[in-house]
Formats: sequence, structure tokens, C-alpha cells
Amino acid sequence: MPSASDTARLAALVAGAALVLCFPLVAPNPYILSAGVVVASYAVLATSWNLVGGFTGYISLGHGAYVGLGAYGTGLLVTKAGVPSFVALLLAAAIVAALAVPIGIASLRVRGASFVIVSISLVLILLLVFQSWRAFTGGSNGLVVPRPFPGLRRPDHHLVFFYLFCALLAAALLAWWLIDRSRFGMGLKAIREDEDKAQSLGTPTFGAKLIAFVVSATFTALGGGLYALWFGDLDPIFQFSILTGAYMVLMALLGGVRHLFGPLLGALVVGTALEFFKLEYGNTQLHLVATGLLLAVVVLFMPEGVIPAGRELYTRFFAAGDSSIREVTAADLRERGDGDAAPATVEVRS
Amino acid sequence: MTARGLETVELTKSFGGVRAVDAATVTFRHGKVNALIGPNGSGKTTFFNIVTGMIKPDAGRVTYRGRDITGTAPHRVARAGIGRSFQLCRVFPRLTVLENLLAAVRSTGPRAYLAGARNAADVDRARGWLRRVGIEHLERVEARNLSYGQQKLLELAGVLMAEPETIMLDEPAGGVNPALIERIGALVRRLNAEGRTFLIVEHNMEFVMSLSDHVVVFDRGRPVADGPPSVIKSDPRVLAAYLGG
Repeated sequence: MPSASDTARLAALVAGAALVLCFPLVAPNPYILSAGVVVASYAVLATSWNLVGGFTGYISLGHGAYVGLGAYGTGLLVTKAGVPSFVALLLAAAIVAALAVPIGIASLRVRGASFVIVSISLVLILLLVFQSWRAFTGGSNGLVVPRPFPGLRRPDHHLVFFYLFCALLAAALLAWWLIDRSRFGMGLKAIREDEDKAQSLGTPTFGAKLIAFVVSATFTALGGGLYALWFGDLDPIFQFSILTGAYMVLMALLGGVRHLFGPLLGALVVGTALEFFKLEYGNTQLHLVATGLLLAVVVLFMPEGVIPAGRELYTRFFAAGDSSIREVTAADLRERGDGDAAPATVEVRS
Repeated sequence: MTARGLETVELTKSFGGVRAVDAATVTFRHGKVNALIGPNGSGKTTFFNIVTGMIKPDAGRVTYRGRDITGTAPHRVARAGIGRSFQLCRVFPRLTVLENLLAAVRSTGPRAYLAGARNAADVDRARGWLRRVGIEHLERVEARNLSYGQQKLLELAGVLMAEPETIMLDEPAGGVNPALIERIGALVRRLNAEGRTFLIVEHNMEFVMSLSDHVVVFDRGRPVADGPPSVIKSDPRVLAAYLGG
């Protein structure tokens, strides 16, 4: 039913997309443009994380592992095997997808805090492996990944990659949207709410979690691989970083994990703030302090994220006469009393 | 004469040194309203959880319609045709009433899974069940905002949405007002008349005795008596179990 609100939503979507796509035109210098690429990559990662975190409620702090694997997979395929850049990117993502199956089978057996810890341990293990295996990965000396478009000047290189990240972001958003509206997505949300209950209703919970996990890891790896092709220099300490995973969680939570554009919005806020802090206080760890504070504020005051918080503010200030859905509901309930004491509505045809 | 339904043979489960279920051999009447009663701690809920696959038994077998389902994963038990409710009621709190039902829709194959959750057929069927339990006016409300009684009805509607032929209810009358107990009882009777088998764990004796065709009494993890309510009411072993003989 294409209602007025649907049309308005579509218009907002087109306007938002146009705004994002215009960014390179208004970016004053290549540095700001490169910051835009970083923020776009964060948006890809946070949206990818939300494919498992938002739907199933399994909070992975270790999604940095798939960023790193995607990046090193791409880099190594290009440098060691001479595979063309973008073929290497897709191949690396496929390898990560295959790896995510056993990792998922092992880690999705545990819930809650245990899952978080298992996810973190994977990043730490991979960090050690990629640091120690110098002959193959280059260790702490890093791995230089040749640029896919050697003829391009640096600002144009940023421009191309900004749009590539936007395309990947669109794909990740589309995947999230498709799952969100599907029966499969409804099963995942049931898992988030009450896993045992979902299973007792017939949802094959383990398989569903695993599929969401693999899809999420694959998109994350694509984000990491594209970053490798853009940045061109990989170091295990940055690629396999707990911080990457923590940023993804922070961005998704900040924007709102139940909303398609929540993680994207979170990435815009956190990513921009991070870039700003790095620019202003580059030599300090102040950006980490600011990030920590931001996380605390989100958890304390906006546990649902910016989107629902903003919506609530809007209804409170601008739609006072036109009461919110929640209020209608409460009134509705009150008006109908307990609801139970009204057997008139029950079908009793005995 | 009657078709085979849910049966258990020598079902056993211990927690630590305690035998929660102790070589329980029970045959439920398929197509009837069965009740499982017994004092607190007599192993009813553990028995329930073993049958539905939530707990693996130490020994013994569970069969459903002649098929061995011992130790089968809960979603497979559900897909075999057994639906269940939970003691103290469990719904998906942050999903709306309608979504709670849509989450119970069963899909097989990738195409079915990728179908829209809000397709007209599923939504119509969900609304039908909501109407039958009497909460269709609440379909857009998040389940956590419902009263306890409404949540009980929602849970029942969710179980029904999965179209089980056998429905196991864990204390359906627990913590709800008399009017609602009446309503749930009427619903059970009607659904039974439509061909659904019930297995009800309950403490409310009046409710059980008025509703069921067949009663199984548990004590210390095993059945001590079974039969129609009229017989069970006057069985000395039942009185002994309840009064601690």
C-alpha cells in the first residue's frame, strides 16, 4: 500500500542518498575527502555488524577479525598470487565466509557475555598469528597493497573509493532491509527476544544464527578488503584490533540497532568525531577517552539509540496534541480495562 | 481403537543426585484433553521439557505417533506437530502482538524463508487466531505492554499459529483471574473438538477436573495413577501424593 508516508520516506531516502553522493563535490580538500572515505567505511562495517548484532542480539566485539581477514586476504591475494585487485576482494570475502562457518558453529553455542568473550579472543589470536607469521604476512613491518588504479591522482583515488564504499554500503543496507522484512528476519528477531521460545515454535535457531553470522562476516570482510585496496598499507595491530569491533558496536548502538539506518547514522556521528579528535589531538589518546564517554552516554541515556530518542523528542515537542503510538496504546489498554474481564469478545460456541 | 499419540517409556532424568523423572512410562490419549497433575517438585515440568526436547533424558524413550523423538532438538519436536507454552508465560516482549504470531510461521526451503513476513496470507491467519483468543484489537501493541492475562492469551495464539496437532500447556491457569480461566477453558474445549490433542500441566484442580478426559498423576518423578477425572478424584494414591502419605 503506497501511502503518503511511504512516498515521504522514499523522498527522504533519495534526498539522503543525493546528499551523501554530493559530499566529494563539496569536500574542500583531499584530506576531508579521505576522512569521508573513512566514515563511509565505518558505515559499511557498522551496518554489516548489525546484520548479526541487531537481528539476533549476539553482540560481537570481535568483528575486527573479519575486517582484518578481509583486508589481509585481499592484500595477500594481490601481492602473493597476483590476482587482480577486485577479484581478490571478492575471493577474500568468499574465504572469510567459508571460515565464518566453523567459527560461527563454535562461538554461537554460547550466549550473552560468553559470546562477547569468545568473539574478542578470536581477534587476539589472529593478531598474534598475523604478527608472528612474518614470512607470509610481513608481520609488524606491514604489507603494502598495490593500488588498483595506479594512474589515478590521490584526490581522484579517494573519490573513486568513496563511491565504492557507498556502493558497498548500499548493498549491505539492501541485505539488511531484505532480511528485516522476510520471515527469516522475523525468526532472527524472535531469537533476539527469546531464543528458547523461538526454537519451541519451530525456528531452527542455530542455523538461522549461523546464516546471519556468515552474511555479517562476509560484508565486514568486503569492507576490510576495500579498505586494504584504498589505504594500501596493512599492519596487524590496526587490522586485528579490538577497537575496530568496539567502534562497530558503538556506532550501531548509538544509531539504534533496530533501524535500517541506525548504524549508518552512528557511523556518521562517531566516525566524524573520531576523525576530528585525531586531527585536533592526534598525538594523544584523547579520541579513545571521548569514544568511551560517548558510549557511556549512549548506554545511560539513549539505550535504544539516537533514532528512537529523536523520535520521542519530536513527538514530545512537536506533536503534543497528536499523541504518540505508545500513549494511544496505554489509553487503549486502560479504556478496555483488563481486557480479560470482558468475555463478551470471546468466541465461546460450545 | 485410538490413534497413537505421545508416549514415553522408562523416561529418566537426574539432576545431581535427585531423580527428577524416574522411569516414567506414560501414554497420553491422542485426540483428548490430557492433564498431568502432581505436587510441587514431582517432575512435571522436567517431564515436559524432556518431551519437547529442551532437556535430554538420561534414559528412556519418547515417541510421538509411533516416531521416536527422544533427544530431538526443540524445533524438530515442534515441527513434528507438538506446540508448547511455558510456565510463567513467555512471549517476545519487543515484538508487536501481530509479529509475535508471524514469528511462529513455519517455513521450509530458502524461498519460503525469504518471503515477506507480512504477506497477506500469514497476516490473515494471524489475525484469525488473535480474534479467537480475543486480543485482535491489540495487534500493534508491543507484547511487553500487555497485561499478564493478555500475554497468556498471546502465547496461546502464538502456539496455535504454528498449527500443532498436540498442544502442551504448562500451567495455563496459573496467575490469571477466574474470568480468563473460564475463557481459556472454553478455548481448549473448542480446539479439542476441532481435533487438537491437549496435554496440560496444572495445579488448579477444579480447572483440570472440569476440562480433561484423562488425568495422569505424578509423584516423585513417576506416574502413580491415571484415569478419567471422576476416578482420579477418589483415588487414595492421589490423596496420598498430595497430602504426603
